[in-house]
Amino acid sequence: MKTTHGDVAARKKKGPGALATAYLVIYNVVMTAGWLVIAVGLVRAYLARGSYHGLYYSIEKPLKFFQTGALLEVLSRVFLTWAVTHSVREVRRRLLFYFHFEIIIGYSFNTSSWLNPLRYTFFFALYPMGVSGELLTIYAALPHVQKTGLYSVTLPNKYNFSFDYHGFLILAMVSYIPLFPQLYFHMIRQRKKVLGHVEDYSKVE
Amino acid sequence: MHHVHGVEPNATIGEIKSMFHKSHPQWYPTRQSIRLDAKGKSLKDEDVLQHLPVGTTATFYFRDLGAQISWVTVFLTEYMGPLVLYLMFYFRVPFIYAAKYDFTTSKHWVVHLACMCHSFHFVKRLLETLFVHRFSHGTMPLRNIFKNCTYYWGFAAWMAYYINHPLYTPPIYGEQQIRLALVLFLFCQIGNFSIHIALRNLRPPGSKTRKIPYPTKNPFTWIFLLVSCPNYTYELGAWLGFTLMTQCLPVAFFTLVGFIQMTVWAKGKHRSYLKEFRDYPPLRSPILPFIL
Repeated sequence: MKTTHGDVAARKKKGPGALATAYLVIYNVVMTAGWLVIAVGLVRAYLARGSYHGLYYSIEKPLKFFQTGALLEVLSRVFLTWAVTHSVREVRRRLLFYFHFEIIIGYSFNTSSWLNPLRYTFFFALYPMGVSGELLTIYAALPHVQKTGLYSVTLPNKYNFSFDYHGFLILAMVSYIPLFPQLYFHMIRQRKKVLGHVEDYSKVE
Repeated sequence: MHHVHGVEPNATIGEIKSMFHKSHPQWYPTRQSIRLDAKGKSLKDEDVLQHLPVGTTATFYFRDLGAQISWVTVFLTEYMGPLVLYLMFYFRVPFIYAAKYDFTTSKHWVVHLACMCHSFHFVKRLLETLFVHRFSHGTMPLRNIFKNCTYYWGFAAWMAYYINHPLYTPPIYGEQQIRLALVLFLFCQIGNFSIHIALRNLRPPGSKTRKIPYPTKNPFTWIFLLVSCPNYTYELGAWLGFTLMTQCLPVAFFTLVGFIQMTVWAKGKHRSYLKEFRDYPPLRSPILPFIL
């Protein structure tokens, strides 16, 4: 008997259809534009005011609009910005810079595949930066959440349910330990595949 | 390439698997998947060699399904957890609630009723696993036991924590609500059991035959007229009853998640029935009459 361990013959992966590709391209162009608008808005507000105070309010509307769009892509980043910064004033400032820098780079790279070599190489630094930014933000928000009992439900109540947002955030932070390495190494593997492919094409030339 | 010699033409795939196992002790038969075509379907243990499109030598493709565990073992383990865990919360074993509540009992009679219902449900499942069900497959992949136990044990602990909590709030509509819930729960337990018995009787002992289930003399099986998998329908009903009885949001979540999973299973089963039987009754829906 011939043996093929694990998965049988590698099936040819079907790429996204024309409609899906169009959607992805448009989606990423819109997201890049949106986050650029927000970044520009931030810079202008800062220049106008001369300080960081009230910076958040100047871009609140477009920020909320584009975050809802981002929900489609990366759930954890939306949860972070929406839930944490919306309610916790003290950490808004710190968050904005880590977060938007990473998002703009990320979305702009999604628009054109020829940027892939750059994208996959930049991520080496961006991923850890983004993750540390997220972790620091959650950590900074913890005392406030505990003090105010934000988003938390206590017993007794008629639904016989409780939720401790503070504990949930700690759990979320801990979950980064197994999740982040998996994501990171997945990207490394993707990078090898994608960049290896590019090298093959240039050889054929 | 591995070779197996001296195979009789009337040997079954099952027998070939045993022969292969002898020369490769790490691959016990339930872990072997054998097919004629690398991308084809797995051959059944009952298939006979000479009835397959092969010559004097046959080439098969082998796939290692990974470590296997018996269905019975998985079911017993995954059901034992909820039974034991719920009772631990019911008796308020230390380190769950505040120390002053250790080993106390709830003052609400619905909490005692809920414990009886929950325990009855899982004892029933355990007994059915041992004495009623006739499984098509002997084994499933080992990793399933971790997945399944996390689901059952996790949800059981989550529900039990609130129902048996010192600050538990009984149902808003009191006795009326609890009585209605209990009737629904018991009705569906009997219904679910009736379906399990009916399905068992379709299949002679030790066989894996598949037949269309039909209503029997038992009125609880008349639902077969409208539904392919009434065991799931009744199961949903029982958990709706338990949700109503306890008025507990985690129970509602558990019911919802279970419903989604059972709907997926029911649709798959319904599709298999339609594919296998030309004369399958057209009036039937997978899980909810006329709806789903």
